[in-house]
Amino acid sequence: MSRADHDPSARATTPTAPSAVLAAVPLLSVRGLRVDGPAGAIVAGVDLDVRRGETLALVGESGSGKSMTVKALSGLLPAGVRATGTLELDGEPLPLDPAARPWRTVRGNRVALLLQDPFTSLSPVHTCGAQIGWALPGKPSRAERAKRVAALLAEVGLAPDTADRYPHQLSGGMRQRVAIAAVLAADPDLLIADEPTTALDATTQHEVLELIARLQRERRMAVVLITHDLGLARSRADRIGVMYAGRLVETGTGAQVLDAPAHPYTARLAACEPPLDRRLPLLPTIPGQVPAAHAVGAGCAFADRCELALPDCRSRYSPLLAPAPDDAEHLAACLRIGESAALPVPAPEAAQASEAAAPRTGGAEPALLVTGLVKRFPRTDRPAVDAVDLRLERGEAVVVLGQSGSGKTTLARCVVGLERPDAGTVAFPLSERDGGGPRGRRTTDPGRVQIVFQDPYSALNPGHSIGTTLREALRAAGRPDEDPADLLELVGLPREYVTRRPRRLSGGERQRVAIARALAPRPGVLVCDEAVSALDVSVQAGVLNLLARLRRELDLSILFITHDLAIARQVADRVHVMHRGRVVEHGPADAVLTAPAHPYTRQLLASAPAAH
Amino acid sequence: MTRRLPRMPRTPLTVLLSAVFLAVAVLCALAGPLLAPHALDQDLYLGTVGAGVEGHLSGTDALGRDVLSLAVLGTRSALLGPVLVACGSMLLGLLLGTLAGFRGGWLDTVVGRYADLLLALPAVLLAMVVVGMLGGGYWVTVLVLVVLFSPTDVRLVRAAVMEQAARPYIESARVLGIRPGRIMVRHVLPNTVPIVVANLLLNTAFAMVALSSLSYLGLGVAPGAADWGRQLADGQRIMVDNPLAAILPGVLIILAATSVNLLGDWLAERLDRKVATR
Repeated sequence: MSRADHDPSARATTPTAPSAVLAAVPLLSVRGLRVDGPAGAIVAGVDLDVRRGETLALVGESGSGKSMTVKALSGLLPAGVRATGTLELDGEPLPLDPAARPWRTVRGNRVALLLQDPFTSLSPVHTCGAQIGWALPGKPSRAERAKRVAALLAEVGLAPDTADRYPHQLSGGMRQRVAIAAVLAADPDLLIADEPTTALDATTQHEVLELIARLQRERRMAVVLITHDLGLARSRADRIGVMYAGRLVETGTGAQVLDAPAHPYTARLAACEPPLDRRLPLLPTIPGQVPAAHAVGAGCAFADRCELALPDCRSRYSPLLAPAPDDAEHLAACLRIGESAALPVPAPEAAQASEAAAPRTGGAEPALLVTGLVKRFPRTDRPAVDAVDLRLERGEAVVVLGQSGSGKTTLARCVVGLERPDAGTVAFPLSERDGGGPRGRRTTDPGRVQIVFQDPYSALNPGHSIGTTLREALRAAGRPDEDPADLLELVGLPREYVTRRPRRLSGGERQRVAIARALAPRPGVLVCDEAVSALDVSVQAGVLNLLARLRRELDLSILFITHDLAIARQVADRVHVMHRGRVVEHGPADAVLTAPAHPYTRQLLASAPAAH
Repeated sequence: MTRRLPRMPRTPLTVLLSAVFLAVAVLCALAGPLLAPHALDQDLYLGTVGAGVEGHLSGTDALGRDVLSLAVLGTRSALLGPVLVACGSMLLGLLLGTLAGFRGGWLDTVVGRYADLLLALPAVLLAMVVVGMLGGGYWVTVLVLVVLFSPTDVRLVRAAVMEQAARPYIESARVLGIRPGRIMVRHVLPNTVPIVVANLLLNTAFAMVALSSLSYLGLGVAPGAADWGRQLADGQRIMVDNPLAAILPGVLIILAATSVNLLGDWLAERLDRKVATR
């Protein structure tokens, strides 16, 4: 289903863009790209143009088809999927079949791919120098190769001796730099970066993105940046393409797409992004779920979730149209394009707002008291958690903010009894039984504290139905007669889900079940270890709203572990910032996140994407 | 969103043939004495004859016993022993591996050393020495092999349990206060079934060869008993008069071990898929 024949006046491709530095012919041109898997369409008609020296960000939630689009563009489609459409690199047609001959000279040489995870994209048994050397084109001599590897390492800001080191000897950021050096070895015209910094800490993320931007300028490379992070797309991309259910729903410059979105989905998605500078009483969400691309009929994929939808939207698909006639850069696939100058994003109910907005001020009733907690793992040079004190009041939410390796997760595990601290105490003054510390084998009392983990996909036993999982939790809590469906209702899921298996649930739904399970023993304290970090923004917002409601209704105290400043801002009454096992700063969320006192907190805030 | 996985490929012919062969073998093992009631009847007057002589389809051995009947009767010791070895060592493996993997600490160290020690020793050689010292006998041999086969099972189960134990749903269960034994039975062990079954069958195949080797060497079964390994050893001496006396049991050993292996691989893959798709 090629859409290449729609209204030519509405095309973004007309090379009349004022940016004169950009070449007339787009470097990469995609028309009517469609990818079909065993179940049906995964990508259902995408047109894209990327010009030399330009960064195009492809933004979308999981299930939007952005990864499959990238695979098609880099000639790496897996077996079992077929792609149709046309692909042109510098005016030359390229076959979509990844086994086709032209790819052998194109892939890696002209089109290069940078992957998300620097921990698995490098071979652990070869030196970094060797791996960069493989990517060099031609057959350079040994000396020549060493020289070029050194030059590449210098270009990505690594010392020459990195060539002799193995990936495991390097940090995540350094590994990603090595991966970038390897990717650049053949001097590609187009770099496709698939979530290149998602696995990295905020500060490292910033450095790696700066590096990519500098290399792009120096080499006049085109970059296609795949990301789920709107803030990152806004700060790094010249143009943004928003994908939804296998379709491109809106394209334009960052400011056009994110500040004046013309497609209702983009508007709603942008609104879901939690702000860094203030706490919203209730975070906007998008009700419903992203449909599978093949499940969408002739109409607009977003129609079912759109309150602006007309009857027509369900039966007729809109091509990409320009909302403002004088600007052919900004296009959106919406039938109501003309009339939706400023799309109203439904405001969250104000009634709940005022109540939720007021941050809790410290009462006199601590629900959790951590004093002088120390945890050191064998064969490490410093304790993972080093003399941490923490106090959590009844009904309060305290955020522990830190990067990976800061010890925040170890702290959480000590609190729930999954790790035994070497020194210090964990006490729950509100529960009848006092305890903590190394006393007996069972250091946890399920009634005192429960935990929700990060990954929704491994949170539930895949072999058990939701009902079985919840019933087991209720039985362990000594309440075997209660209906697991009540727990589901508490977390905003339909009662019928008791019979479902986890695989039939979305990530957000699974995380809600995990919360329901944690609530079974009626804990006073709920520990959330990066509980929303693996979720899409719109889903994330829903789970955060749920946690806020549970806090209010159940007078629950929440200890929230996160690396994400914006999420911390939305959750926290008070914030503890952890760095290398120690709490370097703590105080009310407003104070810590707007006027940080410690240099480390300032550095964290400075590297948040929205700060650029 | 449930993505349908590619359909299961059709059962390969080799697997079907293996299954048929093993089905016949199991039947022979169960009903051996009925199928071959005269297998142990000696006919020293007749002595060794070739295939087809006097109604002996594959001839007779040195004692004038019908080679085919003897092979049918020998199926029981060929199958029962290896299955017992595999099950016994897997039981040990499940017990020790689970304890070591889930408890960790000193127990893990002790179990780990036990496995290392046994793995460092050459199994069949050691079995020969031990069985020889203990005076032989089929059941002693089986028992010795159970112990000698256990370290791979211990390690396998331990690794599988450790991999499972770190999963968030297991940790959630721990925080909920569900007892370790229950977590083990309800959450951890069901997910190790594919590799347990796979190794069970692999070990059966290895044990077949090991037991036959020991019988061949005169250890294991009592002299004169119906056993493929024994038959092979005895048959070798009369290769000239009746080659089938050695070839038939030899081929049967190979076929049985291969069939179990093929079936094991196929089953493991199927179970793995089932766990992965649910």
